[in-house]
Amino acid sequence: MTEFALIILGGLKFGSIYALAALGLVVIHKATRTVNFAHGAFVLLGAFGAFYIQVDKSWPAWVAYLIVPIVVGIFSSAIEVVILRPLRRADLFTVVIATVFLGVVISEGFRLTYKAEILAVPSTFTGAPFFIGPVILTQDALWTICGAIVVSAACIAIFRYAKAARGMRAMAANYRGAQLCGFSVDKTYALAWFFGGAIAGIAGVFAAPAKGVSPELSIIVIASAFVAAVIGGFDSLKGAIYGGLLLGLIETLAAAYGSSALKSAISFLVLFAVMLFRPEGLFPEAKKRHV
Amino acid sequence: MSEDVTLADQKPVMTLKSSGSKHDQGKLLAQWFKWFAPSLCVLGVFLIATQVGTYPQYVATLLVVSMLIGTALTVLVGFARCITLASGAMLALGAYGSTILVAKFGFPFIPALLMGAVIGGMGGFILGLPAVRFRGHNLAMVTLVFQSVIIIGLREWKSMTEGAAGLQVPLVTIAGMELKSDISYLAFAAIVAAIVLLIPIGLLIGRFGRNLKAIAGNEVAAQAFGISIAQHLIAAFVISSAVLAIAGGLQAPRSRIIDPESYGILASIATLAYPIVGGMSSVWGGLLGGTTLRLLPELLRPVADYQELLFAGLVLLTVLFFPGGIAGQLAKLRRARPAEAAGQTQTRNAPAQTTPVPTQVDTSALLHVGNVSKSFDALRAVDNLTLSVHPGEILGLMGPNGAGKTTLFNMLSGFTKPDTGSITAFGLSLEKEGATSRMSHGITRTFQHVAVFRDLSCYDNVAIGLGGNSIMRVMGGSFSDLAARAAGESAKQKIMAALEGVGLAAQSSVMAGQLSLGDQRRLEIARAIVSGPKLLLLDEPVSGVSEEEIHRIGELLKKINRETGMAMLLIEHNIGFLAQMSSRIFVMAAGAAITEGTPEQVMANESVQQLYFGKTADA
Repeated sequence: MTEFALIILGGLKFGSIYALAALGLVVIHKATRTVNFAHGAFVLLGAFGAFYIQVDKSWPAWVAYLIVPIVVGIFSSAIEVVILRPLRRADLFTVVIATVFLGVVISEGFRLTYKAEILAVPSTFTGAPFFIGPVILTQDALWTICGAIVVSAACIAIFRYAKAARGMRAMAANYRGAQLCGFSVDKTYALAWFFGGAIAGIAGVFAAPAKGVSPELSIIVIASAFVAAVIGGFDSLKGAIYGGLLLGLIETLAAAYGSSALKSAISFLVLFAVMLFRPEGLFPEAKKRHV
Repeated sequence: MSEDVTLADQKPVMTLKSSGSKHDQGKLLAQWFKWFAPSLCVLGVFLIATQVGTYPQYVATLLVVSMLIGTALTVLVGFARCITLASGAMLALGAYGSTILVAKFGFPFIPALLMGAVIGGMGGFILGLPAVRFRGHNLAMVTLVFQSVIIIGLREWKSMTEGAAGLQVPLVTIAGMELKSDISYLAFAAIVAAIVLLIPIGLLIGRFGRNLKAIAGNEVAAQAFGISIAQHLIAAFVISSAVLAIAGGLQAPRSRIIDPESYGILASIATLAYPIVGGMSSVWGGLLGGTTLRLLPELLRPVADYQELLFAGLVLLTVLFFPGGIAGQLAKLRRARPAEAAGQTQTRNAPAQTTPVPTQVDTSALLHVGNVSKSFDALRAVDNLTLSVHPGEILGLMGPNGAGKTTLFNMLSGFTKPDTGSITAFGLSLEKEGATSRMSHGITRTFQHVAVFRDLSCYDNVAIGLGGNSIMRVMGGSFSDLAARAAGESAKQKIMAALEGVGLAAQSSVMAGQLSLGDQRRLEIARAIVSGPKLLLLDEPVSGVSEEEIHRIGELLKKINRETGMAMLLIEHNIGFLAQMSSRIFVMAAGAAITEGTPEQVMANESVQQLYFGKTADA
């Protein structure tokens, strides 16, 4: 029983990171109908930012949580302007290709700078763990889980209530209609990419202590984020969070009661099953109308 | 199969054939050259490599393999526009498949290589099944799933694959000869690659490539002309994967040891770059891209570390600035002359008869719709509707927006299935059959929003309209077209006749996407009539075209109807046009029939006037 509770906690910790990574992916897709395959690389940049600030510069961790999202967000908007904007009239195929290879450029750029070593980032909180009965809850796990929940709640609130996000909501609901109502595509897209990039950045900061900073992070993260988003229905912010947590649990359980090979395979099996049998996801935002 | 139902007489074709045989021979040679040229390039690589040292010979082997990989991906990525991140897994299936068969089961190398191709092909089949449902990013992700699961499987199945430690690849022995030296293995690889290339290249330059482009261009229109998307995409996956597996099997002996990691996602991404950099819509694209991206790192050895970065950057630049890739840029360089050449060869060889011979008129209704209903949730789009189209008539279908005309049309052409009721054509019941079956029953259609295949020439657009698009015939046809010229000639006569009929013969080699809207509408008509259908469904054929063009299209349709007796069902919001064209008009509103009769009767009908002009009975 104790062991099981520990596994669940571990699963929730990793799930929180997946949830944050998926959230950014969904924000961008919702507002701009682009699946950003470079999203994993954005998370990598966030994790690297955490390393740079906390280890290289030895600044306190809260600086990383504050600065990194803004920097990655600005970088992400810049990518939208420079690469995605010229492709706005191209088909889905070309856009997917562009983001796939963009991700390679970023993670390769990183690999060349830091010759294939894994950079370690210390945990944000290293104090004594809490004991809930026999179950040990490290401060770090608690921080990651709570932090992810707070950030996601903030994102959902911003997306739903903020004036600045109104354009994104409008674009998500009806692309043409939003344009006719005077929302600028350029501004809205840049904002959505900023937003999505910022979430990727903070996901990276959260992920850095747990996963380390290496080029592989970009592929691990994009695959998990994508699976989490698919489980959640891809256009639902809440769904992305549930999907992320669920995926974290499934993976940890598979590793504990199965094997490490099962752990790597299971997320894909889940993805496959959801896509085939429930393409609208397990937590769809609203019933889709097929017209 | 009756897909090639053509009412045209074959005789004029026979007489023309003998007169043009010399010209034909030239054409046939040109066609064969197109087919063999890539293989000749591969052999050329070998000949050049005989003059250099052993290291370049080793590189040349990898180069030959890259050409094969690139061409395999041109089928899937370039033509069918399916993003695959599983090419590493397919290479692995071939490499591990053939190596295990040789090392553990004592197979000779060539049968092992072929078995590897079969395994790869089966992998492609499994991967192709979901591809029928998914596109874009979802397909990319499904292929990534496949890729990862295969690599995990290879790492875990240690008894066969030796896991992550890697599997020793034995020296290749062909007919008792050990291929030890670089040059001997290169010779062998080049010959195998040259032979294998003939399959994908033959398919790409033939009907199969044409149909893949049609699907990539417009799936709905492709289905309406009998192209089964599922069959074509699965076939593309199988062929591409089998060729990749052969490439993997050929490459393995050069690696000495193969391990799962070297076929990982990075290998998939690197090879995905081949057809993109080389040029997506060109037969040569993957070959050129594979050559370039394989040679580039050799030329840039001092900066070998930056190889992946360079690749990815190159792809981004290509996507942003040169969407046609290397092949597209080369084609641009030669653009000076193609216009006149095309004009000369293709315009004036139209046969004497411009349109197919009339059908014998049978008396019963061609098409009968009996008590058909269709609901979308709470909306009853078509409500218990009964309607007949008689032979030789043009039946106009009118009704305000939301009357259910389009739903009815979609049911007639098989894109939607009715909830209840029957659709019968020529005595056969059609309501259960899908869109791809319509053509074989002699029913074709045009589309409200023009649906020409933009990336195909006008000629190829019409050629698809000719039918014979079931997968077996398409695959077979790709090769039989290369061999036999007589069969090709008769089809050609029909295609040119149809283009002539709509006034587009001079543009036969122009890409359909470059035509004006009116021209595209007429091209759609040519595509729909070339097979000599018995019933033509016209969905707003003159919406959005100029007054002059409306007149032209009207005259054209009337002429076809008069000369061939082809029945037509016409939806049009332009009431003047509809009244002038139709012999009978059927009015519907809110899913139900209002009235039917001659144009005059219908226009005078009070409920119609009320519907359109808001005129009340007593006013």
